[in-house]
Amino acid sequence: MTAAAAAAATAIAAIATTLPTRSESKTDTERENGKESRTKRYGMVIDVRRCIGCHACTVACKSEFDVPLGVNRAWVEYVEKGVYPNVGRSFLPRLCNHCSVPPCVTVCPTNATYKRPQDGIVVVDSGLCIGCKYCIQACPYDARFLNPVTGFADKCDFCIHRVSKGLVPSCVNTCVGGARIFGDLGDPNSNISKLIANNQVTVLRREMGTFPNVYYIGADHTDELDAKRPEVRKVQVVTHRRHEERR
Amino acid sequence: MGEELTWGMPVILYLFLAGVGAGAVTVSSSVLLRGGGGDFGGRHFKLARYGALIGPFPVMLGTFLIIFELGRPFRMFNLFKVVNLSPMNIGSWLLMIFITASFLYTLTFLPTFISQWKNLSQRLAPLRTVLAWINVPLGIGVAVYTGVMLGAMPARPLWNSPILALLFLVSALSTGIAMIILVQTLFHKKGADTEAERHFHQSAYLLTSSDAMLIGLELMVIFLFLMFAHLTIGNVKYAVSIILPGGDMAMMFWVWVVAIGLLIPAIIELIFVVPKLVYHRDYSAPRSVEIVVSIAVLVGGFMLRYIIVHAGQVTGPMGL
Repeated sequence: MTAAAAAAATAIAAIATTLPTRSESKTDTERENGKESRTKRYGMVIDVRRCIGCHACTVACKSEFDVPLGVNRAWVEYVEKGVYPNVGRSFLPRLCNHCSVPPCVTVCPTNATYKRPQDGIVVVDSGLCIGCKYCIQACPYDARFLNPVTGFADKCDFCIHRVSKGLVPSCVNTCVGGARIFGDLGDPNSNISKLIANNQVTVLRREMGTFPNVYYIGADHTDELDAKRPEVRKVQVVTHRRHEERR
Repeated sequence: MGEELTWGMPVILYLFLAGVGAGAVTVSSSVLLRGGGGDFGGRHFKLARYGALIGPFPVMLGTFLIIFELGRPFRMFNLFKVVNLSPMNIGSWLLMIFITASFLYTLTFLPTFISQWKNLSQRLAPLRTVLAWINVPLGIGVAVYTGVMLGAMPARPLWNSPILALLFLVSALSTGIAMIILVQTLFHKKGADTEAERHFHQSAYLLTSSDAMLIGLELMVIFLFLMFAHLTIGNVKYAVSIILPGGDMAMMFWVWVVAIGLLIPAIIELIFVVPKLVYHRDYSAPRSVEIVVSIAVLVGGFMLRYIIVHAGQVTGPMGL
């Protein structure tokens, strides 16, 4: 009986200590950032007009993180539509959208995935992740995967190790056409903010209400469903991933 | 359909087994507490005992399956480091308390083998009642949370329906009852004791009539689920078309879930229930019928989880 009571007390104490430490660490980092700079809100613009579909970003990302075979943190989709002679082909570089309202964070049962308050990057804490795959289900962009080597949820983290040192993410660094523009959406004078203000931009699956922070200029949102339209007739989406269908 | 699912067979089996177990415990506890009013509860003690002795074990087996589905079983303790509003987190806490409470409840029904403790069962009666009161809300909670967990994601439009949790709850109660009927019938020895025989048939009547009612409710919930999904425009309509006539999984859904799992068992149950209900004739269904009907309900319950979990993952939002 006493053993059970002691176990219960430890459990309660564990819960009680876990909750405040979390918020403490949050205020710590906020204070730290307050000294250096204000809070950032990182985002990306993908100018599809400049994309040549060369997969340099996919490869750079693969080598940056040693991403295992068959899964991708970043990838490029090819969309072909129409019937000869009226055909079109476009590219769609993809990555985690680092949503302002991330559904993956809402469903995470262990708080392993969270949106960093200091820069808005959605990260996975592999120390807490249990590999339940709930976040993989919840992501409307299929940006998450279960890392076959570690067994934890994994995804793009905007190259947090580079970004925190003032560099741009690896995919942005390598992009041959300059199609990927990275920056702080919270700063109205940043290149990325100006681009968004001056151009027609779209986001993916806007109706999901996730408020993505990855914007597209000139993206073709054609999906395989559009093949039902008489003016399109044929659509082929090549995801270049092991998972051949878009979800 | 041959593609890999993010949540595969272990999760589907867990959803089914957790439903059966939670349903059996909820039914057993409610019968013990009320059992239809008056001294009904006392007369149905045997029935409550069957439910209690079955209850926690499917839930434990299902939990075991999903813990090992994680790949690193010991990681599951991370769930209990925090309390947040994720349905899976709330569900894990519920499940932990439910397994403990229902297992204790089961223990109070065990026979005593030590002669000095002959009155143990009677002495444990108050504890049993308290545990039954705890187990009713917990069992309903466990059954409901499985549906809430699937329903929490706009990225999975087929699941993203408030009525899915209700569907899972009704199905859990119905399959729980079917499990009790099955075990009770299998273990029942036809004795010369007419009184005992009469009690057995009374319990079977209570269970079968409740099951028929729950199946009716389940059909209504499925109707509303499909109807409202079909009448809306966009993601949900697009997703639900997979189980509506013409969809890839329509045949499976209508044959296995609706026909074999619900309609046929309901009709057979009504054939035996109505004479007692309307003409006050004695209820006595043949052993083979009880077994076939309860197995059909269990198969239907499993196929419901299988099809919903599968269809939810192969459909997504339309467009990009």
